[in-house]
Amino acid sequence: MGYSAARGGLDAILAAEELMRAKRDGGSSPPLGIGQVTERLNLAVDRVMGEAGLWAPRLAALALRQAEGDLIEAAHLLRAYRSTRTRLAQPVPVHADELEILRRIVPAYRVPPGPQLLGRTLDYVGRLLDTGTEKPPTASPEPAVPEAPEPVTAGAGPAQNGRHPGRLLDLLRSQGMIRDRRRDDDPEPYDVTRDPVRPGAPRSARLSVMARAETGALVNLWYRNILGPDGYIHEVTLGEVRHGRLPVRVVHPSTGQPVCLGAVRVTEVEAIEDLDGEQEERGLFDVGYGLCLGHNERKAIAMANLDIAVERDAGRSPLEQNVLMTTDGLDASGFLEHLKLPHYVTFRSMVDRKAAIQAASERRAVPSPDADSPAAQTDAVAGVTR
Amino acid sequence: MTVSALAVQTAAQEFGHLDEQSKREIRSALLTAVAVPGYQVPFASREMPVARGWGSGGLQVTLAVIGPQDTVKVIDQGDDAGVNAANLRRLIVASTGAAQTTDAREASIIQTRHRIPEDPLGPDQVLVLQVPVPEPLRGVERDMRELRRMHAEADYTAIWVSLYEDLVRNGVITQATGYPVLVGGRYVMATTPIPRWDVPKLHQAGFLALFGAGREKRVYAVPPHTDVEPLAFEDVAFQVERTEGASCLLCGAVDAYLVEVPARHAWICSDADWCERRRSGEDGEGEDAEGEDGEGEAADA
Repeated sequence: MGYSAARGGLDAILAAEELMRAKRDGGSSPPLGIGQVTERLNLAVDRVMGEAGLWAPRLAALALRQAEGDLIEAAHLLRAYRSTRTRLAQPVPVHADELEILRRIVPAYRVPPGPQLLGRTLDYVGRLLDTGTEKPPTASPEPAVPEAPEPVTAGAGPAQNGRHPGRLLDLLRSQGMIRDRRRDDDPEPYDVTRDPVRPGAPRSARLSVMARAETGALVNLWYRNILGPDGYIHEVTLGEVRHGRLPVRVVHPSTGQPVCLGAVRVTEVEAIEDLDGEQEERGLFDVGYGLCLGHNERKAIAMANLDIAVERDAGRSPLEQNVLMTTDGLDASGFLEHLKLPHYVTFRSMVDRKAAIQAASERRAVPSPDADSPAAQTDAVAGVTR
Repeated sequence: MTVSALAVQTAAQEFGHLDEQSKREIRSALLTAVAVPGYQVPFASREMPVARGWGSGGLQVTLAVIGPQDTVKVIDQGDDAGVNAANLRRLIVASTGAAQTTDAREASIIQTRHRIPEDPLGPDQVLVLQVPVPEPLRGVERDMRELRRMHAEADYTAIWVSLYEDLVRNGVITQATGYPVLVGGRYVMATTPIPRWDVPKLHQAGFLALFGAGREKRVYAVPPHTDVEPLAFEDVAFQVERTEGASCLLCGAVDAYLVEVPARHAWICSDADWCERRRSGEDGEGEDAEGEDGEGEAADA
C-alpha cells in the first residue's frame, strides 16, 4: 500500500543511510582526514564547538565530516554524543583576565591601555576570490606566534604584560564612568544544560544560552533591532574584542588542589553602552558581555550587545524571551524540519473543522426553525459541561 | 583511580543511551508530573540522536522508564511502519534490548505521535506521547511570565473567551487537534496534537499517560482514573471528527479514527495494526496474523 507519504519503515531508512554514506565516503577524491578539517576548516570547527557548547576539536571535526559540512547537523552530533557521557567534574572558575590573547582590538580608543593586536583576522583582507591554481601547502603551515608584543603605551593602565593586557573597562571604572553592577555575593552560575531556562532567569543563564546559541540567530536578532521593527537596542561601542586561550582547571580528587587540564580558545567581547534612557543614569556607561568557545567574533559581539540590551529592557519587551527561547540552533532547526514528518492525522482533523465551519455558515445563511440551536449540530459525543 | 581509568569506565554504551544521572533526573520530573496531573514540569531536556521536534521528548521519557523486560510499540500517526516511528523504535530497542511489538495489547510502553491506539489500554501499560507544543494557552498569551501566572492562579479566562469568540464568529469551535482539556479540575492541558477523537480516551483512563516535550523542556502526565474534560460549554457539546458515511476501505470500520485517501475518495484507519488485525479476522485472541502485503516489516525482529 502506498497510501502515505512516508512509509516503508526500516528498509527506507537503511537505504537513505546508505545513499548518504556512499556519496560522503565515496567519490574520486582522497578521503578527508580529520587533521585537514581541524587545520584547514578551523573556523567551522570552532563554530561547531561553540554551538554545541563542548570543547572537543577532534570530535567536532569528526562531526563536521560526518555531517558533510552542515554546521547545525555537526553541532547536533556533538551535543547528542555529550548526552551519553557522565559529567565527571566541575571546573574551577577562571577569571577572564587570565585570557592569554592571540588577538585584541579596542575600537573605543586609538591608544588604549595595552596593545592593539590585530592577530589572525580577515577584517582587512580584500575579499578577492583566489581562483589561482591550487598551491601545495607551504613548509610552515603555522607561522610561529610572535613574541609578546610591547604595549603601545606605557603606564596608561594597570601594568600588565603584553599577552595579558588590562581592560578598557577597568580604566573607565577608575574614571567613574561605568554603572557598577558588580555584586558581592557569589551565586552559582545557572546551568542551562541541567535546568531549563525561562524569562526572568539570572544573567548567567542568559549568557550561557547565548554562548551556545546559533551564530546566525544572534546576528539576526541583533540586526532586526537595528533595521527591523523591534528597535530595543542601538549600536554599542566595543571596548574589547579578544581571542585567546583560557586555562581549564579542576580540583584534583586526591590532593584537593586545582590542576590545569589544558586550555580552551574563546572569543570575548565587552560592549560599552550609552545609557540614554530617561530613567537611566545618563552620566554613565554600562557594559554588555559576550564570550563563546572558539574564534567567532560575530557571535561574541552580537551576544555582548544583546546582553546589555536585555539588561536595559528589564522585561518591558519580548526581547528576553526571544534571546532565551529562540536562539538555539538545534531547537529551531529541529522543529522547522519536523514539518517534513507526516501530519495526516492532524490535517484530517483540520479538514473536519473546515467542513464544520462551512456547514455552520450554510445553516446561518438559510435560517430554518430548527437550525438555530448549536445542539442541532450532529456528531457530538458526550458533551462536557462547565 | 586514575582519570583514564575513570574515562574507560564511562566510555561503555549506557543502557538506554542516556547516562544514569540524566535518566534519574527525568524520572524525578515524571514523578512530580504524576503527582500534579496536567502541570507542566520543567526538566533538563538532553540532546538526543533525533532532532528536537522529532520525538526527542517522548524518547527521553521512554528511555527513562523502560527496562529490558519491557515490550515497546512505537507509532506515528497511528502507524508502526511510519519512518520516524521505525527510527525511534530501533533506537529504543538497540539501546535497551527491550522487545518490540506492533500489537497495542502486548506492549507495556507505547510511544506515540498524534494518536492513541484504538485498542483499550490497561493498568499495566504506559502511553508516552510526543509533544510539540506543551502550552495550551499559547494561542491566547505569548509572554511566558504571564503564562506562569495564569496557570498558577488557574486564571483560564482568556482561553474560555477565545472559545466563545470562536463559536460566535464561526458557528463551531474550530480547534482541530491538541484540544485543550481541564485535568483533575485544576490545570488546563494541551492534548498534544492528538485528534479530538482520542481526547475522551484520556478521561478516567485505565493507563498512565506521560507527555514529553523535548524542545520546550517540559513533561506532564495524566495518571490513571483522572478526570480529563475538554473545554466546552453546557449548551455546545465537544465534537470529535466524524464524516457522514465514511468507513475504512480495508476493514470496514466506522467507529475508528479514519484518514482520507483522496485519490480513491475513500477512508482508511489511521491505527494500522488494529486495522490489520480486523482484516485478518483475528478477534482479539491467538496469534497475530502477518499482513499479506508485508506492511508489518518495520516491526519484525
